[in-house]
Amino acid sequence: MIAALLITGAHAQAQQTEIERGEYLIHAGACIDCHTQDSDEATPLAGGRAIESPFGTFFSPNITPDIKTGIGSWSDDDFLNAFWEGINPEGDHYYPAFPYPSYTGVLRDDLLAMKAYLFSLKPVEKTTPEHELAWYISTRMAAGAWKLKNFDSERFSSGPEQSDRWNRGAYLVRHLGHCGECHTPRSTLGVLQYDQELAGNPNGPDESKMPNITPHKADGIGKWSVSDIEYFLDIGMLPDGDFVGSKMSAVIDHSTSKLTKDDRVAIATYLKSIAPLSSPE
Amino acid sequence: MRRKIMSAVLATVLSAGLSAPIAAEPNAEDAYKYRESIMTSLKGHAGAISMITRGLAGDPSRISSHAEAIANLSAELSSIFQEGSNVEDSEALPIIWEEPEKFAEAVARGEKAMAALSAAASDNDVEAVGRAFRKLGEACKGCHERYRKEHHH
Repeated sequence: MIAALLITGAHAQAQQTEIERGEYLIHAGACIDCHTQDSDEATPLAGGRAIESPFGTFFSPNITPDIKTGIGSWSDDDFLNAFWEGINPEGDHYYPAFPYPSYTGVLRDDLLAMKAYLFSLKPVEKTTPEHELAWYISTRMAAGAWKLKNFDSERFSSGPEQSDRWNRGAYLVRHLGHCGECHTPRSTLGVLQYDQELAGNPNGPDESKMPNITPHKADGIGKWSVSDIEYFLDIGMLPDGDFVGSKMSAVIDHSTSKLTKDDRVAIATYLKSIAPLSSPE
Repeated sequence: MRRKIMSAVLATVLSAGLSAPIAAEPNAEDAYKYRESIMTSLKGHAGAISMITRGLAGDPSRISSHAEAIANLSAELSSIFQEGSNVEDSEALPIIWEEPEKFAEAVARGEKAMAALSAAASDNDVEAVGRAFRKLGEACKGCHERYRKEHHH
């Protein structure tokens, strides 16, 4: 029980309401970027962002609590099942563009706090366009088949031989922050290659190259100190004084800069501990 | 006496060099290389300041000299994006010259943040410098997000 509290950070936030805790977790979960259209007047979390992939274009759904076009009619179980099982309230499979392979690890209390926060927002009526996908995956049964082979529903549990800080970092990186969804290489069928955790993806979303963030000295961030990593996640400065302008810039603005310094240090601690790997070809 | 002679000799030599005609506009490659020098200088001083404000290395008494260097470089920002200087190695995106007014606004934000950093540094308040430095970072990041190619580090 104590361990669970430490992992969810609840002990440090006992005074917060569930909605405030949920707002923090929505930032940690980096939901805003994918679920907000890429335009200056877009309403946050109302969906409609086009996400390019090797399989076609996905459009992110509206996750404001609108009854008709958002998640306003969802029960707690609907919400949990989306993250844990990758299924929608009608029982259809989600494509793993929604990163439930990572989110499946997120703990119950955290998810319910996130739902409470989302339900506290103003409902926005905005219909999501249909995905534009390659013919061979255009039915959700294809997602189901993919899941059968490549997905396990499993909550995060902290390793007792590791520090609280490391466990918090593992939870944030592997699950809530779902960093691997961009930074871990995938097979041609889009399966994350966990044995090359965070070694970079040369075929990232929107045709970007996602860097290697293992502690490999030549290919990764092996020369970065914990302070360098924490500072980067806070203000986007690289150890040589440059400032990023890549896709990571948005992640920093809407997610990692909103975390506590402790949480960023936890992320940095975890990243320094994983296997240093050279980048895939 | 010797000093006076040396200064006179130096002045003669330097003015001889400077009286050579300067090109009205550099060629594209040279314009790009000059811009790279400016940006490299900026990141050098920024990196140094960040190490001081984080308490990792360097002395707080040196912050103002780095901040002043940055503020001095800011005067060049508006003149180092010559049309056509986005040569093959350059990471400057064509949109810079497609929306010159918006780009000029971004440059102005950078100039303002650099001046604010220098002002905070002269007050000798390390915390205020940290805050001003963050604001500068936001300006740098903002420009790079829209106007610089994505690259690996």
